[in-house]
Amino acid sequence: MSGVFVYIENAGGEMASISSEALGVARGVAADLGSSVTAVVIGSGVDGVASAAFDLGADNVIAVDDASLEHYTASAYGPTVTQIVGDGGADVLVAGASTEGRDISAWVSADTGAGLMADAIGVKVDDGRVVATRTVYAGKLLADVSVPEGLQIVTTRNRAFPPAESTGGSGAASSASAVEAAGDAQVVGISQKESGVSLTDASKIVSGGRGVGGPEGFEPVQALADSIGAAMGASRAAVDAGWIPYDHQVGQTGKTVSPDLYIACGISGAIQHQAGMRTSKVIVAINKDSDAPIFGLASYGIVGDLFEVLPALESEFKSRM
Amino acid sequence: MKVVVCVKQTPSTTATFSVSDNVVSWEDTGSGKPNVVNPWDEFCVEEGIRMKENHGASAVVALTAGPEGAVDVLRTSLAMGCTEAFHVADDAIADMDANNNAKVLAAAVNQIGDAQVIICGKQAIDGDSGVTPVLLARELGMTPLTYVSAIKSVDGGSITVERLTEAGQQEVTASLPVVVSVVREINEPRYPSFMGIRKANKAKIPTTNLADLGVEASGSSNVNWGTIYAPAAREGEVEMLSGDVGDQVKALVDRLFEEKVI
Repeated sequence: MSGVFVYIENAGGEMASISSEALGVARGVAADLGSSVTAVVIGSGVDGVASAAFDLGADNVIAVDDASLEHYTASAYGPTVTQIVGDGGADVLVAGASTEGRDISAWVSADTGAGLMADAIGVKVDDGRVVATRTVYAGKLLADVSVPEGLQIVTTRNRAFPPAESTGGSGAASSASAVEAAGDAQVVGISQKESGVSLTDASKIVSGGRGVGGPEGFEPVQALADSIGAAMGASRAAVDAGWIPYDHQVGQTGKTVSPDLYIACGISGAIQHQAGMRTSKVIVAINKDSDAPIFGLASYGIVGDLFEVLPALESEFKSRM
Repeated sequence: MKVVVCVKQTPSTTATFSVSDNVVSWEDTGSGKPNVVNPWDEFCVEEGIRMKENHGASAVVALTAGPEGAVDVLRTSLAMGCTEAFHVADDAIADMDANNNAKVLAAAVNQIGDAQVIICGKQAIDGDSGVTPVLLARELGMTPLTYVSAIKSVDGGSITVERLTEAGQQEVTASLPVVVSVVREINEPRYPSFMGIRKANKAKIPTTNLADLGVEASGSSNVNWGTIYAPAAREGEVEMLSGDVGDQVKALVDRLFEEKVI
């Protein structure tokens, strides 16, 4: 079969959004190489995900549908993906750089000795080999990396690539069997995250920093976020002060985000914060200090009191949406 | 039960970088400390110490692979409460890819011997790849348990942990030995005590190198780091919106609709 393989994550019966992005990358690489895209789908009840993979342009889909694979563990999924990639003679394996994709890519890399290009933000083909652009030192530098020989594994950073577009394709997945798990890890409990926009998946983020002044200062930030369906982020200063939980933190020791719109409210823009959001498409900075470093990164800036600006902005959005 | 915590020395989060002939160098004029314990590893050191305090671990060994100066992260780990340290000191490690780096760590873990739980941070802030824990687990033939936010229990030769994923939480049980990678939610790292710092500074830390570990240093990267460069500045100057608040927000919303981000 050879060609470009892409690992597709099953998020409760649907394709994970990061996998759609990885599939788009796989299609681009396959087009440049003049080869095909094979999607690998694993889990229990994966017909919907397999169909979605065809619809998003996979030429082939290999599905491993097994009741014992209902819950992801690296120990169960890793050997199966390794086997499929090996049997198929894959030239390239693409996966999203999610918790699961990082596990799986590392597993295949360890077991095949293949070179791993992690967390790509750009992918191209040069002379028949994949060249991945990735950030190092939290985006302070970039590196163009490649794997000179053998299987090339690349993982794609969340939202760094557009999702694959529908081709209206369809087909029948070929089924493969699960390989025996390596070890006895068993999932004994699951709790789903409360619904709400996840920071790393969000297309719009409104963040608050030290300038909000206290926990109650996040109320206008949240209200603004709600008015445009955005997720709420925060700087480390606000998290360390205990004003907002850590899972909102954007930055080098928090989450790396890449939304279409990032509105920074009362955030000075320390280099560690910039590391987590500098690849956002449009950045808006609202700060009372016109010398704040965040303005050096922003597309649009407002110097002012955020307790006046935020409610005004919220009502302006509401009146026009 | 012996626990090994893997600790990496990385540039500080406030370091500034320059590239010359594809070689990266950095400094930190603000703090004067260009190299630090990888911030994600502070949680792994803390959790290792808690394995001794809460789960009956007999020894907690801090392990690093890096240049001679990386011994600093071991002294910090000892000062926090690790009982032993082990240093693979070799300049060749810097040029290795994650896969070969994991081979070095695995050889060191085997040399330390009899480790039942290996703990790593979820990633290092220099490369941010987050793949070493699984690579290490495969090298050692141990079960990887990644993105762990709580170690619930360790008994009867098995461990139960809570993992944090994009979808929520997963509780997983596995037989020992395991390689665990931890996230920040797992604990609040302690500060080293004065007594701990004094003891750590006097500690004699066993050191080995790649040759003695039997790990090949040459040809040890399957990944070619073609070019390293500074990212282009973001395009365009910031447009500062003027007028009173009403004018500012109206102009901003106009721009955001034009940019099609709303």
